[in-house]
Amino acid sequence: MSHIIVNRIEKQFPNGVQALRGVSMEIAAGSFTVLIGPSGAGKSTLLRMLNGLELPSSGTVSIEGQTLGPRVMQRIRAKTGMIFQHFNLVGRLSVMTNVLTGRLSHRSWIGSVLYLFHERDLKIAHHALERVGITEKAWERADRLSGGQQQRVGVARALAQGPRLILADEPVASLDPVAGEEIMRLLRKICDQDGITVLVSLHQVALAKRYADRIIGLNAGKIVFDGAPKALEHDVLNHIYRNQKAIGNEEHFEAQMAYA
Amino acid sequence: MNGPELTPLPKKPFSWTPIWIFAWLLTLCLIVSDLHISFGALAYAYRDIIEYFGRYTSPDFSDLPKYLKLLFQTVATAFWGTLIASVVGFFLAPFAARNLSSGPKVYRIAREMLNFMRAMPDLLLALIFVASLGLGPFPGVLALGVHTSGFLGKFFAESMERIDRGVIEAVSATGASRAQVVMYAGWPSILRESLGYILYIMDRNVRMASVLGLVGAGGIGLELHDTLRMFRYDESAALIIVILAAILFFDCISTYIRGKLT
Ligand SMILES: Nc1ncnc2c1ncn2[C@@H]1O[C@H](COP(=O)(O)OP(=O)(O)OP(=O)(O)O)[C@@H](O)[C@H]1O
Ligand SMILES: [Mg+2]
Repeated sequence: MSHIIVNRIEKQFPNGVQALRGVSMEIAAGSFTVLIGPSGAGKSTLLRMLNGLELPSSGTVSIEGQTLGPRVMQRIRAKTGMIFQHFNLVGRLSVMTNVLTGRLSHRSWIGSVLYLFHERDLKIAHHALERVGITEKAWERADRLSGGQQQRVGVARALAQGPRLILADEPVASLDPVAGEEIMRLLRKICDQDGITVLVSLHQVALAKRYADRIIGLNAGKIVFDGAPKALEHDVLNHIYRNQKAIGNEEHFEAQMAYA
Repeated sequence: MNGPELTPLPKKPFSWTPIWIFAWLLTLCLIVSDLHISFGALAYAYRDIIEYFGRYTSPDFSDLPKYLKLLFQTVATAFWGTLIASVVGFFLAPFAARNLSSGPKVYRIAREMLNFMRAMPDLLLALIFVASLGLGPFPGVLALGVHTSGFLGKFFAESMERIDRGVIEAVSATGASRAQVVMYAGWPSILRESLGYILYIMDRNVRMASVLGLVGAGGIGLELHDTLRMFRYDESAALIIVILAAILFFDCISTYIRGKLT
């Protein structure tokens, strides 16, 4: 069953940048997909389109059979967790409260704006914290945590939503390799154990190959590769990461290869 | 000094600064001549000024308990005005912040409301409220409340506009409603700054509330007005000292707490 159907999406930003040029894809429910591609290829734009943080210029996105639009936006967002490169926690709030924001969509606004939560929400948040292994930090201020810990809080916040889909935009780009590896393992485990569909964008080809069921290569707003990690050979990578303007990007490419 | 030849610098961009400075100076000169401001007369007047201030040299504190009671009334006026402003600002600010507002129209309306309140001088508002509601501290509370709502709302809104976009996106992406986004991504992120602004406004309102008494809005200013009108310089001097002491006191407290906050 397809969880996500993206149909001929185009995205032009108001400043004229054409970030996506006719992208179509289907993502199976419960799969782990990694998006790769050079900087500016449109990975973030594509991911953000799947929960309406960006709106397509043309084309449609449907999630579990519902076409994304203003009327269903909040309902779809409630079931979609998002993890960010820079964690995007509310720094002044405690870890626990940050995780509880994952429960907001399940609560009427009147109680939640007063920071009142059900016992059940606290339990769910507690479980989420346990899962990412930072229960003991629950009452610490989020901005006092290390990057790796903050990203776990980000994962816990997504988990607390009880999501059907998790989108992660370069979740390990701000982390050291060990912390990055842990986050990837966590995401993979969530995908396997909970059957949650996971879509991750990455700059590390090695991680992509190790964790993905399927890899989608994006270049200049188009899908240029779509297949199993095994199929990601040297010349394919060359194709995915080739530079539009083909000037002086050899080094960048070499770095990618070294990682792989 | 004959190393490798330098690439010549690109042409220096044209700067407006000297022209602006010249224009300002010119306007200043025009103003001085237009208002017939004469520095000579100012020099002659100093004798008169010294003589006038000489009348205030023997303050009379015999009525101090009464003054303190009036001072308390003035401070209470400032407090209630600040409280009203904080509450109004709290509700209006999210609409007046571009990143949290519910649309460009709502944003414009909220901004204009705040601008309007800020543009109404509190002295004028106090005169109007005194005329319509009668003498006493209540018109003063309203005047301060309305005027400083405009300030606090604007300060809050501008702090909100500086919140990291990613944080707001992250909370919205959980499916939270707009009110929830404001309460979880908005207010917590600017809480400290906001408390600082409120203290600053409280401090300002204490100063202003003393003056508002002069137009009949209660408190210690009203008493000062009366003694001045009856040429009771000794009592006026005592009142002025009490007012200045109170203002200094609040200024110090507010500066101290704001220092602690950041
Ligand atoms: N809000 C925006 N306004 C204008 N242009 C934008 C905006 N967001 C992205 N772009 C442009 O769209 C293109 C695709 O950007 P996107 O962030 O999706 O790339 P990416 O693949 O995620 O790159 P990176 O690997 O550097 O994160 C880029 O050229 C970028 O400059
Ligand atoms: Mg990106």
